[in-house]
Amino acid sequence: MSRRDKAVLEIQRLVSYFLLAVFGPIIHGIYRFRFGYSAHDLRAVRSRYAQIRREHPGPILLCTNHLTLIDSIVQGVILNSLPRYLIHVSALPWNLPERKNFDKSLAWRLTCYLGRCIPVTRGASKEESRRVQEKMRYVLNRGDIISIFPEGTRSRSGRVDAQEFSYGSGQLLSMVPEATVLCVYLRGTREGGFAHFPAYGERFYVDLEVIKPTSDNSGMRRSRDYSRQIVHQLQSMEERFFASELATGQ
Amino acid sequence: MNEEQVYEKVVKVISPFCKNADALASVSRETDILQDLQVNSARLVDIMLEFEDEFDIEVEDEAADNIRTVGDAVSLIVEKTA
Repeated sequence: MSRRDKAVLEIQRLVSYFLLAVFGPIIHGIYRFRFGYSAHDLRAVRSRYAQIRREHPGPILLCTNHLTLIDSIVQGVILNSLPRYLIHVSALPWNLPERKNFDKSLAWRLTCYLGRCIPVTRGASKEESRRVQEKMRYVLNRGDIISIFPEGTRSRSGRVDAQEFSYGSGQLLSMVPEATVLCVYLRGTREGGFAHFPAYGERFYVDLEVIKPTSDNSGMRRSRDYSRQIVHQLQSMEERFFASELATGQ
Repeated sequence: MNEEQVYEKVVKVISPFCKNADALASVSRETDILQDLQVNSARLVDIMLEFEDEFDIEVEDEAADNIRTVGDAVSLIVEKTA
């Protein structure tokens, strides 16, 4: 990776960290008071997440099911308290949004920059794809966290899509095999399902599970094996949710 | 295996991934795999891996990136199996 790209990432990392003291409370306030969001067993979820991070201090791939446009933000607010983000510069995960989803508005571009986003472009040239992959590899190798949606897109059915998922999560893991794979199942318990935004007053259910995908293959076959195991894990976490009393009415 | 046989096998491999049945019914060498057949871009990888198994070849990433149409796939496979 070029020195310029490294420097740009390092600057973004530090700027997002320092400005989190300003924007963090605003985002937490919007989450809590503007939209009335909350989470079940918040303390237990944060405690479990902190424990996982202590047990796996290296790079982490946060692999989350994808239902709404703000899953990354909701996940970010739930997994860590604001003080914890301010203590650990590496606590804020990097995200991989599709460029066309936020490129038209300055406000969204700024949000993405401060939210540690590495924009990706579907159908990008080989050179551009390689450059973006190098950035992902760089941030993982320095011990940071990347949040990725293994399904590749929001599930229109409202359930984990174990048929049409992409192999991006497996490719990332193939690039940095020492990364810990932390599967996160996130869903609103009141309405849940596919939507642009969760409903007002939504209360989120969060389940965390560390897995170690394996494969005897190489290349894309290995990435496919890894991705399948990650998506199937999310699927079994979803089954656990629907077997619980929290899923009543969905 | 001649070019016509390769073409038939290529169409057979791609078929299960197509979402546009009408385009599949009138498939030709000029048919764009993603645009016309509406194959999910993530499934292109599966198609390449099936080509490897079916024709006992290795498709490098760069070669795979250059495949847009059914004819591109046929040409690549004919070249690799020659």
